[in-house]
Amino acid sequence: MTRVNRTLRLYLANKSWSLYSPLYILGIMTMFSVIITGIIGINTGFPLPADVRENMRYNGGALYAPPGFLVSVGVLAMNRNFAMALALGSTRKDLWRGTSLGFLLTSSLVGVGAVLALGLERLTNHWFIGARAFDVQFLGEGDVLRTFITMFLLSILSLYVGAFFGTVFRAYGTVWTAIAAILVTVGLLALVALAVWQSTRVSQVWDSLGAWLLLNLAAALALLAASGSYAVNRRALV
Amino acid sequence: MTVTESTASRGIELLGVTKSFGSNHVLTDVTAHLPADRIYGLLGANGVGKTTLMSLITNHAFRSSGSILVDGDDPDENAAVRERMCFVREDQKYNDAFSVKDILRVAPAFYPSWASETADRLTERFRLPLTTKSKRLSRGQRSALAIVVTLASRAAYTFLDEPYLGLDASARTIFYEELVAEYAAHPRTVLLSTHLIDEAAPLLEEVLILDQGRIVLQTDIDEASRGSFVVRGRESDVLDFVGGRALLTQRRLGGLLSVTVRGELNNEEHRRADELRLSVEPTSLQEFVAALGIHALDQSAPQNQTEKAP
Repeated sequence: MTRVNRTLRLYLANKSWSLYSPLYILGIMTMFSVIITGIIGINTGFPLPADVRENMRYNGGALYAPPGFLVSVGVLAMNRNFAMALALGSTRKDLWRGTSLGFLLTSSLVGVGAVLALGLERLTNHWFIGARAFDVQFLGEGDVLRTFITMFLLSILSLYVGAFFGTVFRAYGTVWTAIAAILVTVGLLALVALAVWQSTRVSQVWDSLGAWLLLNLAAALALLAASGSYAVNRRALV
Repeated sequence: MTVTESTASRGIELLGVTKSFGSNHVLTDVTAHLPADRIYGLLGANGVGKTTLMSLITNHAFRSSGSILVDGDDPDENAAVRERMCFVREDQKYNDAFSVKDILRVAPAFYPSWASETADRLTERFRLPLTTKSKRLSRGQRSALAIVVTLASRAAYTFLDEPYLGLDASARTIFYEELVAEYAAHPRTVLLSTHLIDEAAPLLEEVLILDQGRIVLQTDIDEASRGSFVVRGRESDVLDFVGGRALLTQRRLGGLLSVTVRGELNNEEHRRADELRLSVEPTSLQEFVAALGIHALDQSAPQNQTEKAP
């Protein structure tokens, strides 16, 4: 555990990078949502008209804002931290384990942060002007568990996707990273094609699972990316 | 086999180590034994494979064939062996988000014997800017940071990769002083790669010279000094004095001749040299290496040169 703890500490060496930035990003997203709602409100008058309030329910900011940064965290964690960990006498396996613990911490924090923001949003009657960032349809509109799980899975999927590509780069270089990106894209398109082809069956599953279908899919993809990064990491080079 | 008391002093054993990148053979059949607790110089021109060899020993890269043992164990993904090593490369990549302070705060977690006082003192002496992000450091500051981390780690196997790069004369003096002091107080195995023999020679106990991917010479520094001598004086006197001895090198300047001769002189020969007013001096490591025909070593002052594995 000591050896894993070392690489976890490496991941946490700059907490504003590994832990807090995703929260800042969610905060900025919320601020922009409020500003945009305010601008709309200035034009339409307060309280907001029903159609605008309805549209607010579909604000996807929380879904779009964190992944880009978190993918970069994943890339750097398994790329630059890889070089540092090996310089300091760690093994590839211990780096992966410690970093994975760090990913769990970051993702949990994003989940908790989103739940707290949801609470604040509802407490302030949607930031006093009807703006919505977390009390939205894809987060279950006030469903605390679904908000936490969705944001947690979104974060850990982003981190492991970054970790996967960062590791492929370390192990096989630029060309294979590009090839891996193409293969992953083709794989996801194939998944979409399969869903379209089997749309009836997908509809049946959707009816029984609803949004949990997407969450299960995200969990499966995160597991796949984690397994891929673990396997490739064993061949990574400084 | 695990690391035990009985195997803990075996040092580094290389047997037929080869590393190829496609058809490019960087290291070929490298065989050497480096007993523990000595300071080794890994010498050779830029691009000759010094960093690659250290990368293989520390498992930063994988060998193509051959065997590497450290304290009797293969270091590949071997946590018990790897945690006894510290190898900050000359082109070390750090996390861009990390400042010098972040790096020096996390490094002690990796080494139970981390010397905080050494790290603090060296940081002060090198005037390392603690709040500067790693990617903003100059070449000299990167070298200084590598020296701070490596020496403070007190790792049983300490690797220094071209530690002089970008360091000015006063910083190089600090490095010499600190390495010698640290080594005297806490003996360990130090493998120092450099292409600057004369700079490094006073620090070293043993040298391994790499040329075209092979170790062409491994010798104790004292043996290297005793193994040959330089005679300078009037050409006719020098030639008369050396007689039938094999000359490793000879240089003429006007009527003066300077020759490097392999072997040792006895007292009688020393007296005769005095009578002929000849200067007899031990060869420097550089002269000895050059005399053996290994010419690929750079004699220039430290530059911002780098060596990278292909």
